[in-house]
Amino acid sequence: MKASSSHFRIQMISWTTFAAFAAMLALPAQAQSLQEKIKNHQPVVVVTEDDYRPFEYIDNGKPVGLDNELFQLMKAEAKFDLRQEIIPWTGLLAGVSSGKYDAAVTGSLINQERMKAFDFAMPVAANMHKYLKRKNDNSIKSIKDLSGKTCGVQSGSVLFARLPELQKMIEKTGGKMGKVVQYASYPEAYQDLANGRVDYVVNVEIGLLSVMDERPGVFEIGQPVVESPSYVGWPVKKGNKEMLDYLNDFLRKVKANGKLEELQKKWLKTSFKDLPEHVEPNF
Amino acid sequence: MSYLPFLLQGALVTASISLAAIALGVPLGLALAIVRWQRVPILSQVVGVYVSVIRATPAITLALLIFFGSPSVGVVLDTATAAVLTLLVNTSAFNCEIWRAALIDFPRDQLEAARAYGMSPGLAFRRVMLPQVWRTSLPALVNEMTLLVKASPALAVIGIVDLTRAASRIGAATYQPLPPFLAATVIYMLMVMLLVVAQRHVERMVRERYGTG
Repeated sequence: MKASSSHFRIQMISWTTFAAFAAMLALPAQAQSLQEKIKNHQPVVVVTEDDYRPFEYIDNGKPVGLDNELFQLMKAEAKFDLRQEIIPWTGLLAGVSSGKYDAAVTGSLINQERMKAFDFAMPVAANMHKYLKRKNDNSIKSIKDLSGKTCGVQSGSVLFARLPELQKMIEKTGGKMGKVVQYASYPEAYQDLANGRVDYVVNVEIGLLSVMDERPGVFEIGQPVVESPSYVGWPVKKGNKEMLDYLNDFLRKVKANGKLEELQKKWLKTSFKDLPEHVEPNF
Repeated sequence: MSYLPFLLQGALVTASISLAAIALGVPLGLALAIVRWQRVPILSQVVGVYVSVIRATPAITLALLIFFGSPSVGVVLDTATAAVLTLLVNTSAFNCEIWRAALIDFPRDQLEAARAYGMSPGLAFRRVMLPQVWRTSLPALVNEMTLLVKASPALAVIGIVDLTRAASRIGAATYQPLPPFLAATVIYMLMVMLLVVAQRHVERMVRERYGTG
């Protein structure tokens, strides 16, 4: 009798603890709007990825790249406490949707999936998807030759989501899509491409140009693996209009004074004349 | 070579976060163990559930939960606090079990003898039990400390640039992952060696003072 009653009590306590825990998680994030934060003298925090060249990366301990330079411009003219945190991609979007961060100043490709949870500021770049191969690998000359080859791609990325388009292109030439290896970030995928663990890596052209620039003579960029470009922009939590307007005002300003184009040329080795204000992705 | 300062900075982050979690986690583990050992009503069961949940949770999951879950309860934690808290919560659960095993194994007759001499339970705990219990727990506690140091790379997920993250960033920048990871491995070995040397030193001091190991 004693044993069973104490067992019952332990179970009760376990369940109560568990329920309290679950309730804690179910509570909506008490995120404040931009104006409320400014009024209450609370810091406005944006988040940036730590390893996504050439949009943002760390060079010997210092954040550099297109988005980091844009953030520094934004901070210089902000009249409130604007801060930046730098974290890996894994928890980044979750941090924005949970209200931990007010926005992500990070090169996020815009797709339908993400549009469900986020609103995007006007894009900072447009991007074709292409494949990268080892320069000395003569077995790959065009899309047709990718049949049966091992592909490297970032997991959970738009690149990964748009792989079916490549599959169709390969199948049209009578081939078959090979094995796909997913990586947490692109530097690892490039390392494995150089090592020969994968035969080609699919990424946006801007990312590939930046690798070519840093490691000349190792890799070679191939053909497009999608029909239309993707756009890169900064997400805020869906409905956070004040933050979205703030980002858009800033972007319009740097677009008008030519600063955006200058930084695009510096980091992306190209510039974009006709970026749309708003993107409705079809993928 | 120019990347060495960045790597050492990462090593410093790993060392300081681990040390903070150890310094708080060892006494917290003891406190939790006492609650369970004394069978404090309700609290004892809560600690039991806490230990079971934490022991079953990977450090990386715990880090994400604490860092991204905290705004849901209206608490805003900065990265460093969340990092130390993650390791502290993790190690306190394991330390609790180490301390508890030593408390349970402690010979009853010594406590009864202390009681017979008129010592209060608190005094007997401090003067008779604790001096012996920490000596028997020491090897297991140090073992847990080395595990803690090696669990710390999980914190990279919330933006901590520890030794492993620093090494991986250097590898990504130079496309030569081998040198930074080899250097990081050597630094981890040195850290763990330092803990083990400290343990041996303390054990030797105890032997010299009390004549037993």
